[in-house]
Amino acid sequence: MSAPSDNMPITVSAGRAKPLLLRHLPYFICAAVLVALAAGMQFDGYVLNILMQATTFSIAVFGLSVVLGLCGQINLAQAAFFGFGAYAVGIGTTDLHLNYWLCLVAGCVIALAAGAFLGMSTLRLGGHYLAMVTISFQQIVTLVMINDIALTHGPDGVSNIGRPALFQTSQGYLAFCVAMLAIVGYLVWHLPDTRLGRAMRAVRDNELAAGVNGIDVLRTKVYAFALCAALGGLAGGLFAGGFAYVSPDQFAFADSIVFLTMSLLGGVASPIGSAIGTGLLILIPEWLRFLKSVPGLYLAIYGLFVILIIRFMPDGIWGFVNAAFARWCAKAKAPAPSAALKLMPATVGGDIVLDVKGLSKYFGGLKAVDGVDIQVKRGGVHALIGPNGSGKTTTLNVLSGLYRATSGKILLDGTDITNMPPHQRTAAGLGRTFQNIRLFRSMTALENVEIGAERPGNTMIGEGGSAALTERALEALNFVGLGSRANELISSFSYGHQRLIEIARALAANPTLLLLDEPAAGLNSTEKLELHELLKRIAAQGLTILIIDHDMTLVSEAAQHITVLNFGRRIADGESMAVLRHPDVVSAYLGTE
Amino acid sequence: MDLVLQLLFTGIGIGAVYALVALGFVLIFRATNVVNFAQGEFSMVAAYLMVVFSVDLGWPYWLSFLLSLAGMALLGVIFNLGVYYPLRHRSFLPVIIATIGASILMANSVLAIYGPQPQVLQGWFDTPGIQLGPVYLDSQYLLIIAVTIALVIFNYWFFEHTMLGKKLQATSQDKEMASLLGISVSTMIMLTFIYSAVLGGLAGILVAPVLFVSIQMGSTIALKAFAATIIGGFGDVTGAIIGGLALGVIETFGAAYISVPYKDGFAFLVLILFLVFRPQGIFGERVAEKA
Amino acid sequence: MKLTRRDFAAGMAAGIVAPHIITRARAQGATVKIGMCAPVTGPAAESGGYAIKGAKLALDTVNKAGGILGKQAELIVEDDQTTNPGIVLAFSKLAAQPDIVGFIGSIRSTQVHAIAPDVLKLGKPVMIGGTDPNLTHMGNQWLFRCRPNDSYSGRVIAEYGASTLGKKKWAVLHSTDAFGTAGGKALTEALTKLGVAPVLDQGYANQSQDFTPVVLAIKQSGADVLGSYFTFENDLGIFARQLRQLGVNIPWVGSPSITDVTALKLAGPALYNTYGVADYAEDSTEASKAFANAYHDAYKVVADGQSSWTYDAINVLAQGINKAGSTEPGKIREAILAIKKFPGAEGEYNFDQNGDGLHGYNVVKNEKGSIVFDKHIEFTD
Repeated sequence: MSAPSDNMPITVSAGRAKPLLLRHLPYFICAAVLVALAAGMQFDGYVLNILMQATTFSIAVFGLSVVLGLCGQINLAQAAFFGFGAYAVGIGTTDLHLNYWLCLVAGCVIALAAGAFLGMSTLRLGGHYLAMVTISFQQIVTLVMINDIALTHGPDGVSNIGRPALFQTSQGYLAFCVAMLAIVGYLVWHLPDTRLGRAMRAVRDNELAAGVNGIDVLRTKVYAFALCAALGGLAGGLFAGGFAYVSPDQFAFADSIVFLTMSLLGGVASPIGSAIGTGLLILIPEWLRFLKSVPGLYLAIYGLFVILIIRFMPDGIWGFVNAAFARWCAKAKAPAPSAALKLMPATVGGDIVLDVKGLSKYFGGLKAVDGVDIQVKRGGVHALIGPNGSGKTTTLNVLSGLYRATSGKILLDGTDITNMPPHQRTAAGLGRTFQNIRLFRSMTALENVEIGAERPGNTMIGEGGSAALTERALEALNFVGLGSRANELISSFSYGHQRLIEIARALAANPTLLLLDEPAAGLNSTEKLELHELLKRIAAQGLTILIIDHDMTLVSEAAQHITVLNFGRRIADGESMAVLRHPDVVSAYLGTE
Repeated sequence: MDLVLQLLFTGIGIGAVYALVALGFVLIFRATNVVNFAQGEFSMVAAYLMVVFSVDLGWPYWLSFLLSLAGMALLGVIFNLGVYYPLRHRSFLPVIIATIGASILMANSVLAIYGPQPQVLQGWFDTPGIQLGPVYLDSQYLLIIAVTIALVIFNYWFFEHTMLGKKLQATSQDKEMASLLGISVSTMIMLTFIYSAVLGGLAGILVAPVLFVSIQMGSTIALKAFAATIIGGFGDVTGAIIGGLALGVIETFGAAYISVPYKDGFAFLVLILFLVFRPQGIFGERVAEKA
Repeated sequence: MKLTRRDFAAGMAAGIVAPHIITRARAQGATVKIGMCAPVTGPAAESGGYAIKGAKLALDTVNKAGGILGKQAELIVEDDQTTNPGIVLAFSKLAAQPDIVGFIGSIRSTQVHAIAPDVLKLGKPVMIGGTDPNLTHMGNQWLFRCRPNDSYSGRVIAEYGASTLGKKKWAVLHSTDAFGTAGGKALTEALTKLGVAPVLDQGYANQSQDFTPVVLAIKQSGADVLGSYFTFENDLGIFARQLRQLGVNIPWVGSPSITDVTALKLAGPALYNTYGVADYAEDSTEASKAFANAYHDAYKVVADGQSSWTYDAINVLAQGINKAGSTEPGKIREAILAIKKFPGAEGEYNFDQNGDGLHGYNVVKNEKGSIVFDKHIEFTD
């Protein structure tokens, strides 16, 4: 658990198979049985209310498992979104005499819109700010619910809320809710395997790496947030129909905390965990009534448990069970061998693939990069070198869009990418690796590379179906020699192999230009040899490489062309051997004496 | 005009309370990169300690005051060891949630011991306040404003002119660098939690005679103080003070001239506006871009 | 002591299972059962405790006098957690027991609103203390109120201030929660009927830390009398102090919270010489005095409005069932509605067709910190 990107780590079931209707038949049979039970069994009112509450709350908590578990963003206003749905159905069916279904949909849409708006305005700030904004939003919604009496009936709440004609009886309605739960649960369960789901996981594990691998980080977060809000709205709408009464104190900040705790207790990563957490947190208070004779004691214990769960069960109950189960199971089978990787870099432009003109990057008064020109020829290996602090990595970060250039121009294959965000540059054909490896740590090697393969504009994956993606990713992994370990988690690979996976991830995207940031850093001599071989094989397929490294042996053997930086300026540029003998270069590296 | 002056005084007084609590947030945030959602509960616990010592046990006010602050220092240690320290290598999210858990735990433990009835705590001065022309100045608010000013000066001196303060600064800016310089990072973080708990406690004790001692007193103030922190610019001490004062004034005037029932909404509305249009706050730097 | 994840998991599992087994023991007997939803937990837990004490005291009295229909009466209490979802669960748990013949609901109006649909579905009498006038005027024939509703408190405040104190320029201040909003509305309506529409009608949100803007608004409105509905004592305390500090000394007639023990403690001298309406006042009638003495003898604490209404509720319900001679809900309903001139702790019960038992309030005065009964104002319409 000491991984650097420890955003609510999850256990990933090794080797996610592609959705197969047959494989999932048991799920639907179970769901159908549950629905039938809900409709047919005789419950007394108390059990019915408990079940109704658990079912509807679970759907809202599913939303949190998307935003928190999948995407790693916090939402402390789920009760407000829940309230949107509940009030839409409440006010809609009573005051406005609208059809139940219309109100339910309207509630989801309102929650979705509110979530998307909130997300768009604040998600780029991330973390603490998001926590604060969602709390503020929650408070304002509560105030409006209480004070805007004309619309919401104020603190009296809305009573006599209608239900659809089809499900007038309580049991029928419960069965309907259980069916909705099953459907939503199925969708949330399979979300991680979709393109959007993978993007969310990538954002959660490492935003930067996600960005340079072609994922629009902000949009992914907004989608996750809006989806969470919409599920909250749906749950609220169902809840309002079930209890026929809503009032502001059911949708307060404290309830948002309860939703969050339900999600954490069960495990943020999966809908099963959410359902477990919700069920327990509705039932436990019922069982622990005896503790409640002292006011506060029960909630004090509740607070203590939140701390303990975070401390000892970071993945929740389900994550805990899953991890224990995984230890029993053997590793997944190695995937079948695939065809050889084909790299077909685009060749629209002229002889120069990357044309950098007068590039500068200032940090306040510090001129980290100052008026640098670089021309990278197509099909070659070009190296950018310089002593520590010479501005190499800053240049690379400006090139890949992590920093914005202070001035200057960057043309990739003739396209001006100077002002594009990272993911658009990736789409334009730029691939890169990092000096300190940035992989999505909770995913398998294959999933990491699949995200790379999914680059918009990748011509090597056909229609972009999941089979094609997997095929492409396997090819890339085989290319770096790790195909047989495709389904293992990143954490089980050595440092050198992780570097290879990172390169495979970039290659799978079939980039026009590959930026390698100190690929030899931290490798032992054998691994360096392997890396050298790999670079040769990549260059042989005609892919242009811009490499940044200290390692003179690697640079002098692999690169045909070298640019040297010092103090942010270009001091030499030209054919490898000539540049390395240039007096300025020698003095920059060895000192002038 | 009389009306405006009276509102201004009250606004600054209540704003100074927000500022004191906000200061505690900022210190912890700078040292650990974590927002402590239990900061408001520090204030509440300190006020109850004060009730225990000075009302229930009948000890002198100054002694109770010192004992309560000592108690807060101890609470800071426990909080650090129990909530922050075990999670220090995890991302901010688990830590935030753990502090929320701690705030629930603290509030309800006090509820279990003391019951839901609010308690009365005497102020420092026997005179409730002075009439200055058309404006009535509540003596406790005067004290709060004075303490806030004193703390601003103290903080400046402490962080800029003492070795310990500089070490704390260094730790909050770059932990790795600090440890290379031989500073014990975990000790510094411990000290930060202690200082922050004491500050929160001080705010609680000062405000208790005005707002009474109740379970909710902390959480209400803390939410506003959060907002103040962001408005001022996260991680900036001066910003937190200005943000707190600004919020107090905005809220009071908003209540007087726009709507009383929506008073609590103004703080959050201003906050959201700031986050959308100027996320770095009044004084803060641009949200850092890190590679 | 090192706690591993495994230990923690095991401990948690044990913690979840054990209490479930404990609660599996419940006796059955030949008694008449009355269900009660009360806040055992949550913000109102303390007053919930008083409510249960009041109900139990009445139950003992009833049982000593021969019980209900010759059987001993039994009270089954469910915790409503002081929340709306809580009371819905608690009530449904009670409603699922077919041998419960009548219920004691909540003193909080929103909670009564929350269970009202279920009450209607169940069709058994529920005695309530919520004072929102609407509760007995929304076609739910199974709710019977054992406290005077807010239309009466509003009318009494208006009547007392306008007629007895002779003040015409009213400032109305109320919290924006259900209780305060309904009360403020009732007071404004009553004043308008008396021909003295308030010069200021001001709401405030609960847990406000500062009332300066409100006090200044009252000052500026030129009001010569203040009527108020406060929900929480600390709000009342802060407001009262600031009101006096800023030099407003007009007469003040408040809702029952102004006479609350905690409010008196918090606000101190700031509340001297204010008036309050109280559904329960110890010195108002003989029955009230008798209840106060019995309660004090039994529990060694002073009786208050939280315990008096549940005491009356049990007595009224028992009388209703005994008069009906049956536990059939329809007959009980008829019998309760027929109750007239029944002396309760809260006052004399004369049920109307809506299910309201009381139609007036006591006015009390704060004389240097002690609450003194002033007069009772009763309405017949």
